[in-house]
Amino acid sequence: MPESERDLKLPLFADADETVQAIHQGDIDAVVVMRALEGPQVILLHGAEEPYRVLVERMSDGALTAGPDGVILYVNDRLCEQTGYPAAELVGHRLASLFDGEAPRLVPEVTAEAGLLRNGKDAMPVAVWSRPITIGNTTATLVRLTDLSIHRRAEQIAAAERFARSVLEQATEAVVVLSPEGHITHASWRAEQVAETPPVGRAFSEAFPVEASSTEEAGMLARFSAESLNTMLATKPFHGVEVKLRGKRNANSTFLLSAGPLVDENKANVGSIVTLTDMTERKRAEEQQTLLVAELNHRVKNILAIVQSVAGQTLRSSTSVENFADAFSGRLKALAVAHDILTQTRWIGIGLSELLIAVLAPYRSADETRVSVCGPAILLPARAVVPLSMALHELTTNAAKYGALSTPRGKIEITWQVSGGDDKSVELVWRELGGPRVEVGESGGFGTKLIDRVVSHDLDGKTEIDCDPAGVRWTIVFPVNGFARGGAEASDAATV
Amino acid sequence: MTEHDGYSLRLYVAGQTPKSIAAVANLKKICEQHLPGHYDIEIIDLMKDPALAIRHQIVAIPTLIRQLPEPLKRIIGDLSNTEKVLVGLDIRPN
Repeated sequence: MPESERDLKLPLFADADETVQAIHQGDIDAVVVMRALEGPQVILLHGAEEPYRVLVERMSDGALTAGPDGVILYVNDRLCEQTGYPAAELVGHRLASLFDGEAPRLVPEVTAEAGLLRNGKDAMPVAVWSRPITIGNTTATLVRLTDLSIHRRAEQIAAAERFARSVLEQATEAVVVLSPEGHITHASWRAEQVAETPPVGRAFSEAFPVEASSTEEAGMLARFSAESLNTMLATKPFHGVEVKLRGKRNANSTFLLSAGPLVDENKANVGSIVTLTDMTERKRAEEQQTLLVAELNHRVKNILAIVQSVAGQTLRSSTSVENFADAFSGRLKALAVAHDILTQTRWIGIGLSELLIAVLAPYRSADETRVSVCGPAILLPARAVVPLSMALHELTTNAAKYGALSTPRGKIEITWQVSGGDDKSVELVWRELGGPRVEVGESGGFGTKLIDRVVSHDLDGKTEIDCDPAGVRWTIVFPVNGFARGGAEASDAATV
Repeated sequence: MTEHDGYSLRLYVAGQTPKSIAAVANLKKICEQHLPGHYDIEIIDLMKDPALAIRHQIVAIPTLIRQLPEPLKRIIGDLSNTEKVLVGLDIRPN
């Protein structure tokens, strides 16, 4: 046989022997077998799979094995991705050639930072970690390269997440963050209070079952089913709709529902922030204000009616314009005083003796015994203040014109009694003394008519006039659904 | 390195089995020491492309093939026995 042929043939024969021997001796750890359909296939022999190998293959980090001289022996797929080179172009090169600038010093189990070259030019920040490994008789180094740009991004995300959480924790309103599908991912403390069950993880409509608080809003909300409400809140801005929440906890509360979508740097929707602002107090204040305005309106109309009536009747009984001016302005002033009193007591009412003192104050003089006031403490309700003030004004005006207050010796004694249990009534007596002789006719006219009308109409009471020659005596009886201040026995003797 | 006196070596491995890794390391060591500047090594990973085994009828892994200089030489195993490798490749020790 020619030598060349022998060379060709012998190795095959020899190889067969050698292969068997090699397997026997454990020199190899894999074989190639020919499969009829699939072709050649590598079969690893038992024990060939080291745990580290699996680890390295499956790692999401780039990994390589380097020999003692720094030559790359093996690279995993991820490292190929990271460097942009196929394995064949990396194996056999020195480890240092992978890096931008100085290669990192490999200290076992210590992580260093370095710049890994991508495609030979751009440097990508990586963390380099290494560990010696023994393979057979060789000591190699396993090097792991972690993409720091991803790590950095993860850190930024984690920091942003911590910030968002702390903002949420400080929120005094019910605030929740929704995923794009409308599920709650974060909730503020107040939101957890408002929701009847822990809200995180639930669909928004489940944790916060909203319904419209009025019929106008109902139209808008009714268009959304629970599911579409969730996605709508997660993706579209939604401004201030008044809602109520079903369930016992929030039965008496009204909320303002608002939503604002969140987008990432690519303007893609990543969820939304939804707030439920408790408007219950605000609504209550609004309602109260509406009531107050209506009440105010009512009272103003009342006063105007009184003024109109007073003006009309004063006009009819005035003999001249000056008379009218005097009489009218006097009565208006009495009205004003009465309202001042009401305002100061915030329309609660005033004690009878305080009212008398206030109305009769203009007649205070050096002689303080001129007008005396005596009777038990009794709180007049607000509705009695104006009519009684006007009646007193008339009595006083008459007294000043024709009666006890028209002479220096004249005196007025005002006394009253309170009788009755739950249906209290006041019997007030106005007694004039030391004045000029009185005739009924003289003290008639509008003043008397006004007193009569005011007492019967506005005070629900009765008047009686007794024209005693010594001085006129008026008795006014009227009911008060009030209460005695400080005990019915206390008598107020005040001298004005 | 000239074509006349250079060694062209091809090492067939199977991914990162221990003997594959050892073979690579050992081969490089031997070449650096005994054939400095006169060799080139090609690593063929049969895990990635088993069909490449057909050319040189590779059955056992790792297997080293000396393509140049001719004639073809073959060594099976992880090449940890340096002397055996030198003899097998017909390399004069340095």
